[in-house]
Amino acid sequence: MGFNFDFALTTVPTIIGAIGTTLLATVLSCLGASVLGFTFEMIRRGGGAAGLAVRFLIDFIRSTPVLAWLYFLYFVLPFYGIRLGAMTVGILGLSLYYSGYLAEVFKAGIDAIPKGQQEAARALSLNRRDTVVFVIAPQMLRNVAAPLGNYLVSILKATPYLAILAVPEMLGRAFDIASETYRYAEPLTVAGILFLALALLLAYGVRRVEQRLLAVGRR
Amino acid sequence: MSMLEIWLGILQGLGITAEVTAYGLVFAVPFALVFGIAQFLTTGLTRFLVTAVIEFWRSSAVVVLLFFFYYVLPVMGVTLSALTVSALVLGLNAGGYASQAVRAGLQSLPAGQREAGMALGLSRPAILLLIELPQALVAMSPTFVNNLIQLVKATSLVSLVTLTDMTFRAKEIAQTDYDPVAIYSALLLAFFVVCYPIALAGRWLEARVNPERGTRRGI
Repeated sequence: MGFNFDFALTTVPTIIGAIGTTLLATVLSCLGASVLGFTFEMIRRGGGAAGLAVRFLIDFIRSTPVLAWLYFLYFVLPFYGIRLGAMTVGILGLSLYYSGYLAEVFKAGIDAIPKGQQEAARALSLNRRDTVVFVIAPQMLRNVAAPLGNYLVSILKATPYLAILAVPEMLGRAFDIASETYRYAEPLTVAGILFLALALLLAYGVRRVEQRLLAVGRR
Repeated sequence: MSMLEIWLGILQGLGITAEVTAYGLVFAVPFALVFGIAQFLTTGLTRFLVTAVIEFWRSSAVVVLLFFFYYVLPVMGVTLSALTVSALVLGLNAGGYASQAVRAGLQSLPAGQREAGMALGLSRPAILLLIELPQALVAMSPTFVNNLIQLVKATSLVSLVTLTDMTFRAKEIAQTDYDPVAIYSALLLAFFVVCYPIALAGRWLEARVNPERGTRRGI
C-alpha cells in the first residue's frame, strides 16, 4: 500500500473546507490571549499581592505545555458543572496559554516607551487609567505589532492541537478521513502541506504589515 | 487513588520525557549549528536552499509533523520507532528555531571581529570557530534556554504517538480513576517542576551574560 496521489487529491476539498474553523480559532485565540495578556501585564505592573500572583501565574503558564492546559480545561471544567463546546474550550486553552507569552510581549512593548512619556502624563496630571489608554497603549501598539504578528503565526500552528478535543479544524478533518478509509498517509500529508502553506502565507502577510507600520513610524 | 499515588504515577513518565528531550537535543544542536552557520556564510541559491530547509522545520505545525512522520513514513517503506520519530521531529523543530538564534548572533557581531582575525592571518574557518562562534553562542544562550524549555514542553505530544511520557501516564490514570482535577493539576505541576528551574537558570545566565540589562518599572 503505497502513497496514492489520486486519493490524496480527493481529500483536499474536505480538509480545505475546515480552513474557516482553523482561521476562526486562530483569530479568536489571538484576540483572547491579547486581552488576557494585557490585563495580566497591567496587574503585574500594579505590584502588590495581585501583581505577585500574576507574576507567578505567567511563569507557571510559560513552564507548562499547551496540551496539558487543553486536557486540564477539557476534563476539569465539566467536573465543576461547566459544559462548553470543544471549540470554546480549545479557544479558552490557547488564549490562556498564549496570554503568558503575550504578557511578556506587552511588557517589552511598554518598557521600550521612553520614561519621559509617563512623566509628561503625570505632569499633565492624567490619572493611571488615562495614562495607559491615551499615552502608553497607542505607542505600545506600534512596539508590539511585530512580536504579536509572530505569535499569531504560532497560534495558527497550535490550532491542530484542537483536533485532540475533536474540533473539526483541518487536522481533525484529516483524521476523520483517516478513520473512515484507514488511510492515514494521504490526508495527513495534505493537512501538513496546507498548514505549512497557511503558516508561510500568514508570516508573509505579517511581515508586510510590519513594514507598513515601520514606514508610518518613520514619518 | 491518593494524591501521592497520582503524583508517583505521573512521575513514572518522567523517564520518557527526559529521554525524548535528550535524543531531541542530539538532533537539535548539530542542526542549529550547521544550518545557522550555513545561513550566515552562504549567499544566492545555496542560502535559499538552506533557508528553505530551516523554514520547513520552523513553519510546520509540530503536531502535524509528528503525525505525518509517524503515519506517512511507514507507507513509504521507512519504519522508525515512536521514540526516533518524536526525537527527530521535536529536535529538528527546536533546532530550526535555535538556528535562527545562531545566525542572528553571528550577524550581530561587529565586522571588526572578523577583520581582527584576518589581520592575525587566521583562515576563515578559524575566525568562525575561534572568534565569531564563541561570542555568538554566549550572547544567544538565553534564547537556547527558551528553546530547551519549549522542547521539554513539546515532549507532551509524544503521548499522541503511544510513548508513555507524563501526559500519557496522566491520561492512563484518568481512565481508571475519575478525578480529573487532581490528575491534570498534578500533570501541570509536574511540568512546572521540570521546566521552571531551567527558566530560572536561564535568567541567571542572562544576568551573567548581560549584567547591565535591568527591568524598568513604571506606570
